[in-house]
Amino acid sequence: MPQSPPNLATTQFLDSTGQGTGNNGAPDQPYNPPGAKHTDSCLPLHATGEVVHNYATAEPAPGTIAFRWIHGSNVAALNRDPRIQAVQYNEDTCILRQNVCVNWQAPFTYLLLGNKGALLIDTGATAEPAYYPLRETVDRVIARWAKMRRRQQVPLTIAMTSGENRAQNQGLAQFAGRPDTVIATRPRAGMTGQIDLGDRIIDVIPTPGAHKDGITFYDRYNDILHTGDLLYPGKINIGNDRDYVASLERLKQWRDTHSVKWVLGGHIEMEYSPGKAYPRFATYKPYERLLQMTPDLIDDALASARQVAGKQTMLIRPDFILMNGVSPDERTRVFPAGVPNIASPRPY
Amino acid sequence: MNRRTFIKVPLALPFAAAAADADAADDGPPPVAVQIDFTSHLPAPGTFPARWICGSPSCMDNQDPPVQVHWYNEHTVFMRQNKAYSYEAPFMHLYFGNERILMLDQGFTTLRTDWPLRDVVDDCIAKWCARHGRRPEDMELLMAFSHLHSDHYAALAQFTDRPNTRYMGLTHEEMVGFWGMTGYPEERVTLDLGGRNILIWGSPGHVISEFAYYDTYTQILFTGDMFYQGRCYITYWDKWFDSMKRLMDFVDTHPVTHVVGCHVEISRTGEDYPYGVTYQPDEAPMQLTVADLRHAFEVAKTITKPGIYFTGAVFLCNQTRGTTTIDKNPYAYV
Repeated sequence: MPQSPPNLATTQFLDSTGQGTGNNGAPDQPYNPPGAKHTDSCLPLHATGEVVHNYATAEPAPGTIAFRWIHGSNVAALNRDPRIQAVQYNEDTCILRQNVCVNWQAPFTYLLLGNKGALLIDTGATAEPAYYPLRETVDRVIARWAKMRRRQQVPLTIAMTSGENRAQNQGLAQFAGRPDTVIATRPRAGMTGQIDLGDRIIDVIPTPGAHKDGITFYDRYNDILHTGDLLYPGKINIGNDRDYVASLERLKQWRDTHSVKWVLGGHIEMEYSPGKAYPRFATYKPYERLLQMTPDLIDDALASARQVAGKQTMLIRPDFILMNGVSPDERTRVFPAGVPNIASPRPY
Repeated sequence: MNRRTFIKVPLALPFAAAAADADAADDGPPPVAVQIDFTSHLPAPGTFPARWICGSPSCMDNQDPPVQVHWYNEHTVFMRQNKAYSYEAPFMHLYFGNERILMLDQGFTTLRTDWPLRDVVDDCIAKWCARHGRRPEDMELLMAFSHLHSDHYAALAQFTDRPNTRYMGLTHEEMVGFWGMTGYPEERVTLDLGGRNILIWGSPGHVISEFAYYDTYTQILFTGDMFYQGRCYITYWDKWFDSMKRLMDFVDTHPVTHVVGCHVEISRTGEDYPYGVTYQPDEAPMQLTVADLRHAFEVAKTITKPGIYFTGAVFLCNQTRGTTTIDKNPYAYV
């Protein structure tokens, strides 16, 4: 007699009534390998109402960046990649990247979803929806997610790692007039706060330094720090070195008291070879470094920031480059000791 | 047809076959080449476009042609690479003579599938030949460039299988030998395109191997990357200053209508477009005047230290690193 399939919907999932095991997914099912953690899925097979996800996790929520980022093309005019690459980190987190051939800064924007709403961190470098359809993409991601979760309404909050950053605030105009949308006001200095997406709390950490109004977001579900221009694998232009050091100290303290899986910044400019960066305005970056930075790099960043503080100089590190008080085009022959100096090919 | 039979086919065959077809279709005599007079009524008048293509806010949405072709006059073509195909957006020149054609500079994209410079040039030559009773395969094409930087010769590879085409080598010795110079950089040689003379001499400073070209027909002086509407990256100041002196001597003794370079990196208001930018909406014209050149020389006389000096028309970047601009971090605060 064939074994009947386990009834996942009734035993393992939370539904709108709040009943369930408290875990998402079905880790105890025999088809899972031993030691499997929750599968991050809270989709019942036959949901009857709004699906409520449990965002309380002991460890960072599972998630991965499973795709290579689109990286432009040798001839930018002939690029036919999507204008926005949407990568689902997990069911409740989406990473969007702007095409390098639309804007060379190719910023990353993050869409986080919770039981009571969605948060869009940053809005990209291009205002024209024809070139960079951010609102349309966000709407479609939210609509797809809402359909899976049986939700009628998903209020959207838009917040930026820096309101003055033209590489991240241009897409904001596309959301003008969007119903059920709130644009987070600019926090005052020293202000900390939280954004509650419905059982999913995003902490707001003021981190000026790269920008005067810089903010870092900490996602308690994924345990990810969204640092924007403060810390990312690229040429970091320091706006004020005192603030920059203080902000990194704050981040280090945060890391020491919270679980941090990754630091995700707003751009990638470094190459895969350590210490090498693509030049400004490059529209073809075939050998990019990964987006994600491990939290131990905060120590490196802090030590490097203290080193450049008070000096007009640039400092090359394997995973980022600090530019303090110099032109964005500054170059240096000083290369970190012990790091292989590999020049990657530059096709033309 | 296997590879061996393919190799046996003479290189000029496709052209010859095409020409034979054309003759058969016309069923008339071969075209009669009328000798063009390049020595009277100088300088030959010509026009520059009111506006060159200059990129777009979003590169992948650029709708401009890959190469902008502008006929300065009946026998002279200026071309520009689209900024969305290469941020360097270099200019290229075609000078037609009675017997041969000189092409100066070849742009910054290697592959013909990426950027069809070869097709554009072949089309220009075909049109000119059709208008002046010549067959393209009879005209020798000389491919030269101002200096040994890849934004000036990258597309040379597209022409290597072109019949009746000669091109400069990629070493200083080959370049000097191509023009038969023995006294670089002082020696001035004359290239005869068939009634149309091009004067060529050395113009180092940006790099060691650079040439200045002067067309006696349009009286346009081409100074390459050594002097152009933008940031003149001067690597060797003494050599550059000597080259400027040579240019001064030249403009004192020869009529010059325009001084043209390879790039435009400056706006009409004197704003510096940073190195690598792909959109220059308010670009200055490509051509400079002799007065600009003379004024730059006067400014250069006062320069004693490395640094960036603005002459009003060009930035003289004296021994600053290449790609340096005057850009600052716009988000710096106290």
